Amino acid sequence: MLIFSCTSNPNKSDSIRIRWVHDPETLDPMLLPNQAAFDANNLLNISLLQADVLTKELAPALAEALPAIQLVGDSLMKLGYRIKPAAAWDTGRPVLASDVEFTLKLMFCPGLSNEVARNQYRFIRAVLADARDPRRFALVCQGQAIEYQKASGEFFVLSEAALDPRGQLRRFALADLQNRPAAAPPDSALQALARRYVAATTGHISSQLPGCGPYRLVAWEKDRYLTFQRKPHWWADQLRPVPFVLQARPRLLRYVIIPDAATATLALRRGDLDVYPQMPAHEFARLQASPAARASLSFYSTPSYDVVTAGFNTRHPALADAATRRALSRCFDAAGLLRATQLGAGQRSTGVISPADSLNYNDSLALLPFDPPGAAWLLRQAGWQRAGQADSGWFRSAGLHGGRQQLRLVLRYRADESLFATIALQFQATAAGIGIPVILQPTESGAFTMALRTGDFDMYVRVLKGNPFMFNFTPVLHSSSVGISNSTGFSTPASDRLIEAITTADTRVHRARLLRQFQALMQQEAPLVPLFFLPNRIAADRRLRGLHASSLKPGYSAATLERGPSSSPTP
Amino acid sequence: MAILTFAPLSWAQKLALLWLGLVVLAAGLAPVLPLPYRPGVPDLAHLAQAPFGPGRHWLGTDPQGRDVLSVLVFGARTAMLLTLPAAVMAGLLGAAAGGAAGYWGNTTRLAAPWWLLGVGSTWWALRLPVPLLGLVVAALGLGLTLATRLYRRPVPAWPVPINAVVMGAATTLDTIPRLVLVVALAASTAVSQPVLLALLTLTSWPYPARLVRAQMLRVRALPFIEAARAAGVPAGQIWLRHALPQALQPLRTTLPLSIAGLLALESTLSFLGIGLPPDVASWGRLLATAREEPTAWWIFLFPSILLIISMLSLNALGRQRRILG
Amino acid sequence: MVRLVFWRLARTGLAVWALASAVFLLSHRDASAALLLAAPTAFDLGATHTAATPAQQLAAQRAVQQRLGLDRPLFYLSRNANPRIGRVQWHWNGRRNQYHRWAAGLLHGDWGTSFRTGQAVPARLRAALAYTLPLTGAAAVLAVLAALALAQRLAAAPWWQQPLRVLLTAVHALPLFVVALALLLVFANPEVVAWFPAYGLDQSPEVEASAWGHLATYLLHLVLPVAALTLTAMPELALQLDAALARELRTGYATTARAKGLAEPAVIRHHALRNALLPTIAQVTELLPALVAGAVVVEVVFALPGMGRLLAEAAAARDYPVLVGGVLLTGAARLLALLLADLLYFWADPRIRWQS
Repeated sequence: MLIFSCTSNPNKSDSIRIRWVHDPETLDPMLLPNQAAFDANNLLNISLLQADVLTKELAPALAEALPAIQLVGDSLMKLGYRIKPAAAWDTGRPVLASDVEFTLKLMFCPGLSNEVARNQYRFIRAVLADARDPRRFALVCQGQAIEYQKASGEFFVLSEAALDPRGQLRRFALADLQNRPAAAPPDSALQALARRYVAATTGHISSQLPGCGPYRLVAWEKDRYLTFQRKPHWWADQLRPVPFVLQARPRLLRYVIIPDAATATLALRRGDLDVYPQMPAHEFARLQASPAARASLSFYSTPSYDVVTAGFNTRHPALADAATRRALSRCFDAAGLLRATQLGAGQRSTGVISPADSLNYNDSLALLPFDPPGAAWLLRQAGWQRAGQADSGWFRSAGLHGGRQQLRLVLRYRADESLFATIALQFQATAAGIGIPVILQPTESGAFTMALRTGDFDMYVRVLKGNPFMFNFTPVLHSSSVGISNSTGFSTPASDRLIEAITTADTRVHRARLLRQFQALMQQEAPLVPLFFLPNRIAADRRLRGLHASSLKPGYSAATLERGPSSSPTP
Repeated sequence: MAILTFAPLSWAQKLALLWLGLVVLAAGLAPVLPLPYRPGVPDLAHLAQAPFGPGRHWLGTDPQGRDVLSVLVFGARTAMLLTLPAAVMAGLLGAAAGGAAGYWGNTTRLAAPWWLLGVGSTWWALRLPVPLLGLVVAALGLGLTLATRLYRRPVPAWPVPINAVVMGAATTLDTIPRLVLVVALAASTAVSQPVLLALLTLTSWPYPARLVRAQMLRVRALPFIEAARAAGVPAGQIWLRHALPQALQPLRTTLPLSIAGLLALESTLSFLGIGLPPDVASWGRLLATAREEPTAWWIFLFPSILLIISMLSLNALGRQRRILG
Repeated sequence: MVRLVFWRLARTGLAVWALASAVFLLSHRDASAALLLAAPTAFDLGATHTAATPAQQLAAQRAVQQRLGLDRPLFYLSRNANPRIGRVQWHWNGRRNQYHRWAAGLLHGDWGTSFRTGQAVPARLRAALAYTLPLTGAAAVLAVLAALALAQRLAAAPWWQQPLRVLLTAVHALPLFVVALALLLVFANPEVVAWFPAYGLDQSPEVEASAWGHLATYLLHLVLPVAALTLTAMPELALQLDAALARELRTGYATTARAKGLAEPAVIRHHALRNALLPTIAQVTELLPALVAGAVVVEVVFALPGMGRLLAEAAAARDYPVLVGGVLLTGAARLLALLLADLLYFWADPRIRWQS
């Protein structure tokens, strides 16, 4: 029995343990391949603006305030920022405009894996420094979109002194780096900088980039855990009051990687885990029903901005017309699926904008009904005819090219998520009821991404992730993204115009009107069938305070967590 | 001479036969049995429902709302049409390859014209540079073969490394982690029942091949083989009639075990999300869904019981069957 | 004998190389998926506020291609189907190809760097092996010992022979994840008995403890995973050995030994066991590559780091350098195992020695 005495005791250390499903793989602040990497960087680094889970808005973090907008001509926009005077690196050096400029240039430094950041921040064309105030600067943006005000401040600011102490990047202008041809001769200064950066992001944790965030990474065991330690003296501690986005309470934060949901639930029950985000619906319901679990855990459920969506491949002749797509979308029993898989939480929607967004959500539209006879009727309207025998399906003549089209569908979805399998089975059973053969193809996630890209499907089911800040449908539904990220291949001149108008709308009210118009158009055209918005479920140790469950990713606020007084261990 | 004789059946074997007969019957009659639910149709009102709950789900439902009873019945059908053939085919393939490798090693020889024919046609079939060259070589080989037949001249013979080829192929197949193979396959084609059958056969023959080869190495050194050789019986006949039946001995116990292994592999594929589509009922996938709902004992228990009883039955039959040489 | 072993080793090395090359070529043929996953495009709503133009997207893709070294042709020769003349054409690419670079790097000890993390492949493999080997090694040793002990006792036909065989078959019928989940839900569940920790290797590493304390914690964490692996590996070994022993005990020499007055256990140990081990040797050496390849199911269920998860995740993320490195390592272990099996055959059965 000697060894049994070593089983963990929940209060042995004052670290707060949060579950992650996967290792973040890399903490490169420009790569950020997954949510875990983003959350970790949020502790290590600070950006100009950061999401505030209380207000669901971007709030100034490194910046003193939201940037001042100044329109220049009809195609440029100037955003005036000032960095908080207290902001400083660990060495005591202040954070200055030059650091911001350095970070933006680093995104275009050749030899780094910064392709995503490049495409995201290409709209910032220049950084204008202020001669009198080294903390003041203006970002010159190409185009005039109200979203730029927030989008321009979302990158993590890196230290020029740590990466480029001799200021070699200052020789280059931002625009030069942006327009640098791929075939340009290699520059030794840029190469050296790239090497230093790669060494800092892939090397041992002791060589990690020094950030101006509240935490240091003290341990990273791949596929096991990451430990973050609060810096004893951090610049934002001097602020009075400390803004919400700059609060950092826990002394030690430990993210533990537990891939299996059942294992994570057990760990939570035993007190080996404090926060379990993104909990599966049935585990959540089961724990809520258990009196023992209710005594030690608290439960949070908030709506999220992730919508479960079915999509049609509009490039296929049988699915090219909106009438057929509308007919098929009536075969989804969204209400039943929501009840069965989310146990009542979550919310149905008419479009891809969350019903929680009362300004932009088009509430005059009706939810799609589950109506198989109606679907059959609509199919007939679309020119389809049921063949003589009962099981032979639907046909229509294919117009110009002659021949007959048959309505047979291949439905793809990611195989590792059982929610999709349930939806697919329900659709298949309903479609079979009205004589449409559906082949289910659960696909491994890498191959699924590939299939979406190459259009190798008739229909798909997936989760479309969204956020409340940005309304840009260009990647998903615009004609310029067909073959890249517009996986349905849908585009009409009217929808293209509307999408462009939304991205360049100058006021929120105007944008809201356009967005409502857009939702109506999408329901009419039905390239996507939004089924329902998923809820975001968190179970946590009852004694934790300051979890602030929220709709924003990751769904809680890690840096404000505190153990209640009853459990604080003796120092 | 080898004959299969059956010892009189014990009561355990009678039970085993009864059970397997029942499974086969259920598999055959599945479409006409009066089941309240079809296996691929989810009942959204009753997800992960315990047995004997509301809604006539006598054995409960899985987390997708499929009726456990009908999944079990139709799963027997899938097992009959997928796992059993895969195990048998893998066993046959392995026995032939491993038996040949063990008996002949690398020593058997093939006349040069046949070699020319083989290499030439492969060249042409693969469309290597100048495919015509392959055809010419093949024609040359064919001509030489005919010529030697006519003139009965001795021609040079080159050794065929059967052992090296078989063991090399087995090693190669075994070494690539099965997951990689399956992921590569799933990326290129959709996983359907025939594809999975081919995949299972292809990845599981090396093991019986190794066992048979190991046994064959022993058998070919036995006196009665020597005697047959001395008596001038053709090599092929000795191999097929005398050596192989002896060398198959280890397969008797491994065949039922390999069926279990294949069922487990199929369910692990489902666990990894590369298995059969969800509208094909399978015991393995039913087990795999237990992961999503660990407290749903009925998803765990019923397929496990079926698996265990079927394995015990197969074992009971396999163990007692005597092969007398 | 030495010459024979030398030749086998040489052949072994060649086979590993051929295998790794095959995996390299096969996986890199599917490089477009790796590119796509390395530079994710925005399939999500509002992920980017400025959609890049198709030209920019293409430029970004080319940059990724260059960064990952996927811009060169794959092999010395490439086969291009030319639809214009309807024929297949062969093209010589010279030494500027991916395969040449990989092979040359490998000869200089450079295994490449991971597509996903930019780390060197050997470092990742080493880290994973450090966790995998104790786990799978302990399980393999325990399984083999238990199988030997059980089979010998079973062969003596005690009263519990039949029930134990039934039990072994029953356990063997269950997939590994079922066994692992069952162990977890019984022995690490506060609602049943929480004797063992549920995940990982230690829950609070920053707590100061003695070396013995650390070791005890580590062992305690390994109990359930090792038990799950042992339970699934052992029945097959035991049943096979049991069947072989039963067969040997019916042969003439066993009867002779009994007639000489030897006790049954002595007949089993000194006469039958050595012959019965022959098929088991194949199975035992089979375990060796599995030791290196890790056990993905157990690693996922008990949240342990290791080769299984590393390779599975590399396959899912199309991280080919890690995958090829893992295959190389597994392949080496597999071929070593074959060599070992042949040597053991020599030892176990003199007739084979005499034949070769």
